Amino acid sequence: MFGWLERNPFFFAVGVFVVIAFAGLIEIVPDFAQQSRPVVTAKPYSLLELAGRQVYIKDSCNACHSQLIRPFKSETDRYGMYSLNGEYAYDRPFLWGSKRTGPDLHRVGNYRTSDWHANHMWDPTSVVPGSIMPAYKHMFTNVTDLETAYAEALTVKKVFNVPYDKDMDGDGKVDVPLGSYEEAKKRAFEYALRVAEETKRQDLVDMVKAGKIPEIVALIAYLNRLK
Amino acid sequence: MNWLSDNVNQLALLGAAAILILTIGVAAKYFKQIKEGKSEGELKEENWDGIGEYKNNSPIGWSLAFIGTIIWGIWYWLVGYPLDAYSQIGEYNEEVKAYQAKFESKWANPTKEDLLGMGEGVFLVQCSPCHGIDGTGIEGKAQDLTRRLLKEEVLDVINRGSAALGNPNGQLGYPMGMMPPGLLSGADAEAVAEYVANGFKGNDKGAELFQSACASCHGPDGRGMNGMAPNLREYDDKIISAVLEHGKRGIIGTMPSFKGRLTPVQVKAVATYIRSLSEGA
Ligand code: HEC
Ligand code: HEC
Ligand code: HEC
Repeated sequence: MFGWLERNPFFFAVGVFVVIAFAGLIEIVPDFAQQSRPVVTAKPYSLLELAGRQVYIKDSCNACHSQLIRPFKSETDRYGMYSLNGEYAYDRPFLWGSKRTGPDLHRVGNYRTSDWHANHMWDPTSVVPGSIMPAYKHMFTNVTDLETAYAEALTVKKVFNVPYDKDMDGDGKVDVPLGSYEEAKKRAFEYALRVAEETKRQDLVDMVKAGKIPEIVALIAYLNRLK
Repeated sequence: MNWLSDNVNQLALLGAAAILILTIGVAAKYFKQIKEGKSEGELKEENWDGIGEYKNNSPIGWSLAFIGTIIWGIWYWLVGYPLDAYSQIGEYNEEVKAYQAKFESKWANPTKEDLLGMGEGVFLVQCSPCHGIDGTGIEGKAQDLTRRLLKEEVLDVINRGSAALGNPNGQLGYPMGMMPPGLLSGADAEAVAEYVANGFKGNDKGAELFQSACASCHGPDGRGMNGMAPNLREYDDKIISAVLEHGKRGIIGTMPSFKGRLTPVQVKAVATYIRSLSEGA
């Protein structure tokens, strides 16, 4: 019946394409159109958080940590609500990770605090006996690169229309301000001082006051943001 | 010939012989066919560069399976999986519902041992990173759960009231609401703080002042008058569930809220476990 198809490679290819595309069309497109939208509570990262995110990427935390809670009871019991696609709308790139040497971190901001992170990153075994996570002492002296973070924020604002300086929820207030580099930097320093004080480490507070944000402070601001 | 007495070995040998005989037989058949066989049957009209094809009907079983697959495929596309709005989240919700029902019926009347075991599990996973695996708070990084309150904590609450717990308008959700700041000051405050931190022992001045300044809310014995205000003597179920629900930002640090993350039975279990820490087992 379909002998003619065998003699017409072009139509055969079209037929194969239609059959395969159909599955993709009904399974992927409608779901994607709906789920790729930002969830209502998703907000872009502030400058300091974005800088912390870059530290997270630079030090390859995602090699050992995932940021994706799957809808399984065993995971939601430990980490909280399962992750939704729309929560990653402002993650470029997303940091789902594919290996869990350590626990998932997608909602770590809910159940850890700044001082805990500072203790843990300085020496993981001081709070979790037997931890195999490496210590990250260099982060307590390395200075955060705010300029690159600002460049990233400005780029995604201009190119991808990420809603910086916009009123997202209609309450008449700008939700995540960015503004000029000077403005953004000033805000980042205020934020950094708050985080540094929460860590209860005077050396971090002194560094911020001296005009240098240690990487650990930016990283903690980012980790606290993960909710 | 010891090994032949084992019937598995016998069967294996029999199987090997059968395979050998069948292989030789089949090979012989095809060799014969190659030597003597002639092509028979009707050829189709088409040929591809001289290579033709017989007009054979496909086997019935194969055809039925093929048609069956097509019908199943149409059903699957249009009625089954994707368009029937299967959702992973839906499956998750059902899984959780079924689990919760089982969990609740299983632990409807837990014994103290059940609670201790469950509480230890919850504590080690959720609480030990801050409170330490022995519950002593890792050298002052979090509340030492083997004892109730420190003198500095009590003093801080007397001075700052509910603000010392994270929210000046009442933090822990007790019926009394908030605790006003500055009920006592100076040496009086010190004396009461010492008395409370010491487990309501010694210190007559503290005991007296407690009765006049604090007992109206925390009860004459400091046990909180059945949950009207926090129990200052021991970790009762109420203070644990209140702290887990609302969190606390005190003089030691920040205790995050665990709202919605533990079931009531688990909260009771972890409270039982925490009490067992100070019973000095
Ligand atoms: C070699 C693998 C490895 C790397 C790389 C790594 N971690 Fe970990 N991490 C672990 C392990 C294992 C644990 C669990 C033990 C512990 O809590 O220390 C952990 C725990 C944690 C926790 C506590 C989570 C919880 O739920 O208790 C945080 C937060 C964390 N890591 C952050 C980081 C950050 C930020 C980086 C990058 C700077 C990083 N980790 C890099 C292995 C790693
Ligand atoms: C008006 C009633 C009232 C009086 C009087 C009162 N308290 Fe309280 N107290 C409360 C309430 C209500 C809370 C819980 C506050 C909250 O949820 O923010 C509380 C909380 C506390 C806490 C914190 C408990 C914890 O687990 O962290 C301490 C300690 C405390 N009170 C000590 C005292 C002392 C000592 C006195 C006497 C000087 C006193 N209170 C007098 C109502 C009172
Ligand atoms: C991120 C670290 C952290 C985690 C995780 C944590 N706690 Fe705490 N917890 C604290 C700190 C810090 C305090 C002291 C707060 C203060 O008074 O300054 C505290 C205080 C407490 C108190 C004393 C409250 C009071 O008013 O007397 C209880 C009870 C408690 N935690 C129970 C728990 C339980 C149960 C868990 C696990 C389900 C848990 N905590 C997990 C950090 C933590």
